Amino acid sequence: MDSSTPSPQTRWPSPAFLQRDLPAGLVVFLVALPLCLGIALASGAPLLSGIIAGIIGGLVVGALSGSELSVSGPAAGLAVIVLASIQKLGAYETFALAVVLSGLIQFGLGMVRAGGIGDFIPNSVIKGMLAAIGLVLLLKQLPHALGDDRDFEGDEAFQQPDQLNTFSEIWASIQAASPGAILISVSSLAILLLWETRRVRRFRWAGMIPPALVVVMLGTLINEALILWQPAWALTQARQQLVQLPMVGSAGEFFALFQFPRFTDITRGAVWVTAVTIAIVGSLETLLCLEATDKLDPEKRLSDPNRELRAQGVGNLVSGLVGGLPITSVIVRSSANVYAGARTRFSTLVHGAMLLLAVLFLSRWLNHIPLAALAAILIAVGYKLASAKVFIQMWRQGIPQFLPFAVTVGAIVATDLLKGIACGLMVGIFFVMRSNNHAAVTVVRDGNDWMLRFNKDMSFVNKQELKRRLREVPEGSRLIVNGTKALYVDRDVYETLEEFEVSARFRKIEIEYHDVLGKEAIRR
Amino acid sequence: MENYRRLLLNNKAWVEDKLNVRPDFFTRHSLSQKPQFLWIGCSDSRVPAEEITGVEPGDIFVHRNIANLVIHTDFNMLSVVQYAVEVLGVSDIIVCGHYGCGGVKTALSRQHLGLINKWLRHIKDVYRLHAAELDAIADEQQRNERLIELNVTEQVNHLAELSFVQRAWKTKGHPMLHGWIYDIHTGYLKQVKKVDPGQLPHDIYVYEFPDLDGENEVS
Repeated sequence: MDSSTPSPQTRWPSPAFLQRDLPAGLVVFLVALPLCLGIALASGAPLLSGIIAGIIGGLVVGALSGSELSVSGPAAGLAVIVLASIQKLGAYETFALAVVLSGLIQFGLGMVRAGGIGDFIPNSVIKGMLAAIGLVLLLKQLPHALGDDRDFEGDEAFQQPDQLNTFSEIWASIQAASPGAILISVSSLAILLLWETRRVRRFRWAGMIPPALVVVMLGTLINEALILWQPAWALTQARQQLVQLPMVGSAGEFFALFQFPRFTDITRGAVWVTAVTIAIVGSLETLLCLEATDKLDPEKRLSDPNRELRAQGVGNLVSGLVGGLPITSVIVRSSANVYAGARTRFSTLVHGAMLLLAVLFLSRWLNHIPLAALAAILIAVGYKLASAKVFIQMWRQGIPQFLPFAVTVGAIVATDLLKGIACGLMVGIFFVMRSNNHAAVTVVRDGNDWMLRFNKDMSFVNKQELKRRLREVPEGSRLIVNGTKALYVDRDVYETLEEFEVSARFRKIEIEYHDVLGKEAIRR
Repeated sequence: MENYRRLLLNNKAWVEDKLNVRPDFFTRHSLSQKPQFLWIGCSDSRVPAEEITGVEPGDIFVHRNIANLVIHTDFNMLSVVQYAVEVLGVSDIIVCGHYGCGGVKTALSRQHLGLINKWLRHIKDVYRLHAAELDAIADEQQRNERLIELNVTEQVNHLAELSFVQRAWKTKGHPMLHGWIYDIHTGYLKQVKKVDPGQLPHDIYVYEFPDLDGENEVS
């Protein structure tokens, strides 16, 4: 590691913390709130379980995390798995047990240093994931911005539970667009764009006040004004156009809503299958998000993936114990965190604490915030992630970089995060295989003499090329097979050579080997 | 297959390799050479200059003879050095010996090999020059290896004694002279001697160049 990039370690509060991390935490909290509720709804779980996961993700994972900037909480990428698991296990309490176990497994993965697998994901795929999330945000938030959306649950998946998909929903919401929502979202976007201009940035206060906060306050004020003077345009709770938190009167009432895991089900195989699935998928999402967040980090810090896995493990353990959804590091909230100007983990902690306070004391007030204003914030984040600049940059790097990137983007937008990354990975691996496979064998001739030379280690992927080149050698010639450049030769390749020897005997081809045999073992 | 045929085949594969990396590899080289180094090494087949230093054709100007000797009456070697210094303008000259050198081993013996005796005599001279140090070494192999090192040092001194090397130091500020040993058991090179440009040998070998605008004094 370069000595100029220190590994993340906690920095203690300073004026910079107040100036940057406190407002950033507030923004992340505002972005996280509707997502926590939505993901809980999409998972078929109690709404509160999403908020609990958000609180634990902020306070517990935030404190232990290997990254300063990544934000954790309930993940849309897991919603489908959670929904199916709850149905299969029959009771939410049994599912909570699986979450506890998945936390233990994840902690174990961190202990055996499995975090390194994140390094095997090519850059083009990670950049594709970021751009795709940007696009998904743009597309999925458009209905919110237009004021017609009754489901924010499937926000990161293409097919939504209401039988609409991303594009048909946009069409439906254009038809049913509400003038009040458009007023709020357009003026919100205008403020966000204005904040980016140099004219506004000149002012010191512009750097201190997060534009997202201004947007939320202005959006709420506009809506309140509409209620007073233009009720027909106003956004209402009844039409689910505002933030909706369950009303909790006291702390006691809040804790009474907790659902605890049913430990007696620990012998059920299905519980363990669910636990392992959540641990693996959640770890993958976390590691990908960690990579992506490190790339966004203006200080370009390198997070410790194993520490992150252990932190996530503890987070899931705690979340499961109090009936919360499974937690992963989540990219939408993390990128919102970075773009809101966060520099240390305090913004994550602040967001967690605010979720807790909000559910305890503020639900009455927060329920006035129009979703259209939140949508505008997410659209701005989405545009930053998926700007034309990113696509042009990747295009300039050539097809082997651009194609995995484009496939990842396309597949994530059309399906979901994990499927999309799997598609991008396959294309990426194809290019790696192709470049490794390329020209593994050189064949030269001098009159009747032929030489076939291995240019690199030979494995089964090179078998086809080897067979093809061997066929070039005509009857009655003399052939040297030269293996000097190969350190390792697969048994498959030896078998191909042996088969060729048999046919060569009939075709009167004389074969000699030069430094070919005895390379079946990988030498280190 | 006859062994020489293997060389012809290897050559074809090598051409393909070079063209794969740089399609203009040979057209580029066909115009001129601009090597930075002169290598004076042993003829021993196990010490190929380019391969052990990891460089490409065009990088090293090479002279090899038995036991990497610099003999002041050897017109072959002298022509190579003069061309390298005055025309190619190399920045470094490397004399590279190697442990396990057959020439040095024979010179230490009383073996009679005819004409080769005349060539190896120069190594016996090196021995006589350092007899006190060498005779004090009891172990035969250690003595042999020390002679190999001293032989390289002496050959580097011979280079510094050449008038056109001293002249190039005055006019161009190079070449730097190096004495290296290739350890045949490990493959590593080791430096045993370095002469900076202008670092003159014993006074008796120093030449003056009146044609160089009065800059005759040793700087």
